[in-house]
Amino acid sequence: MADEKTNNDPPLIERWLAEQQQWQRTFLTYMDSMVKNDDFLVHLGNALRGSLLAGKPYPTQPPAAASTPETPGDDKLDQILFALRQLEGQVHDLRLTLDELKNEKKRPPKKAQPPKPKEPQ
Amino acid sequence: MNEAGPEPERDQERELEALLELSRRGRAKLERLHEVLTTPGHFGTGATPAAVVYRENKLRLLRLLDETGQPRDGRPPVLFVPAPVSRYFIMDLLPGRSFAGYVAAAGFDVYIADFGTPSREDRFADLEYYVEGLVRRCVRTVSALTHQDAINVVGYCLGGTLSLLYSALHPQTVRRLVLLTTTVDGDVEGGIPWVAHRMGLAGEDYDNPRLVPAAEVKSWFEMLAPGSNSTIGRVSDLWDRLDDAPERLREVRTMSSWVDDVVPAPGRLLAELYRKLGPGANGLLKGTATVGSAPVDASAVAMPVLSVSAEKDTIAPAAGVDAIRGIVPHAEILRLPGGHVGIVAGRSAATLWKRTVEFLGAGEST
Repeated sequence: MADEKTNNDPPLIERWLAEQQQWQRTFLTYMDSMVKNDDFLVHLGNALRGSLLAGKPYPTQPPAAASTPETPGDDKLDQILFALRQLEGQVHDLRLTLDELKNEKKRPPKKAQPPKPKEPQ
Repeated sequence: MNEAGPEPERDQERELEALLELSRRGRAKLERLHEVLTTPGHFGTGATPAAVVYRENKLRLLRLLDETGQPRDGRPPVLFVPAPVSRYFIMDLLPGRSFAGYVAAAGFDVYIADFGTPSREDRFADLEYYVEGLVRRCVRTVSALTHQDAINVVGYCLGGTLSLLYSALHPQTVRRLVLLTTTVDGDVEGGIPWVAHRMGLAGEDYDNPRLVPAAEVKSWFEMLAPGSNSTIGRVSDLWDRLDDAPERLREVRTMSSWVDDVVPAPGRLLAELYRKLGPGANGLLKGTATVGSAPVDASAVAMPVLSVSAEKDTIAPAAGVDAIRGIVPHAEILRLPGGHVGIVAGRSAATLWKRTVEFLGAGEST
């Protein structure tokens, strides 16, 4: 069977030529995507690092300034910014508390329950 | 003479046939890679439609919606708290592969805290900011929206630690608590803090914190997952995987978009976690943990608790997770086969999802 199949196949040299053409097509498909799709290069770069991460480049070490401030002034500014973030949260807390109070006012008052009889000691 | 030619020529022909086959297979892999890289999918976003119901700093609180775009309000609310050092969408990975989506499909009103990506000023964020700030306000918001005094909380990894600390400080607001791969015993060998401890590293600086770059956070995870810490190893893995069907590869891509898209971490939070709960200090188990100035009393965690560990977890070793029975004796312990991520979003994650829905649904009429 194997021999028969081999006999029906085109000669090896023709199959190699066809394969070469297929490679050219594959190559052109990649080139086409690189030109038409900006994200494709990022995706391909990630794949070359062994990752299928989509949407952004594979994480690499950023410049030191990105994680720590360069000057004491920047440091103070960051502290102020973070303090503002904390204030933002406290304002949300205040709003939530006000809403709770409003809702409690809207609710019908609970009926006063009779005091529970004392359990025998 | 043989009809097919002399023996050396036949050998050469066989070699050329083999090379041709190798060339075809390599090309097929590259074509599959191209198809996967150019196909849209669920990357960086959840799979289930959701509305943002609260925002604060980088945090977004998402409420999952049903097929008609409406919130579900039939069963009690459930808040998912993922780890703030990774992306939230592991909880809602793909259609049909979404933990949060599964719980929502069971009729629960599901919310997910997306902590977002911290920027430089957020390096000052500490445990109190997360527990008494972000998590507490998420719970309050869900309670306000659903008019429920107590809600269900599901915490994953470091999100589980935040959920446990929150539940100990505000037990009256938590109906049922699910902790997934949440380390309680900081002295158990394994996990990022333990590796740092063994290497004699001081950890992050609490007083002068930095924003720990994503690449560095990622390198810590890679240290715990042999094979993923070299480019050659990763490329070789990917090349092998390219034999898989495109649909399978798209799933792999979504998962790898989560694994590789680590976010930077606030240095002060890491310093505090290491100093209070890490090896040596082991504050959760020893009962010395504090949030801000408030002591954490684990005996206050009186609500039903389900704690889930993964047998092959290298990030939160199962023994350190199951140690919760030492501080919350009534906690139900469930150890599942699989790894840290696999039990939550892998192919066999349905075991966990099903058990979680059963657990959350228990005592619903009470």
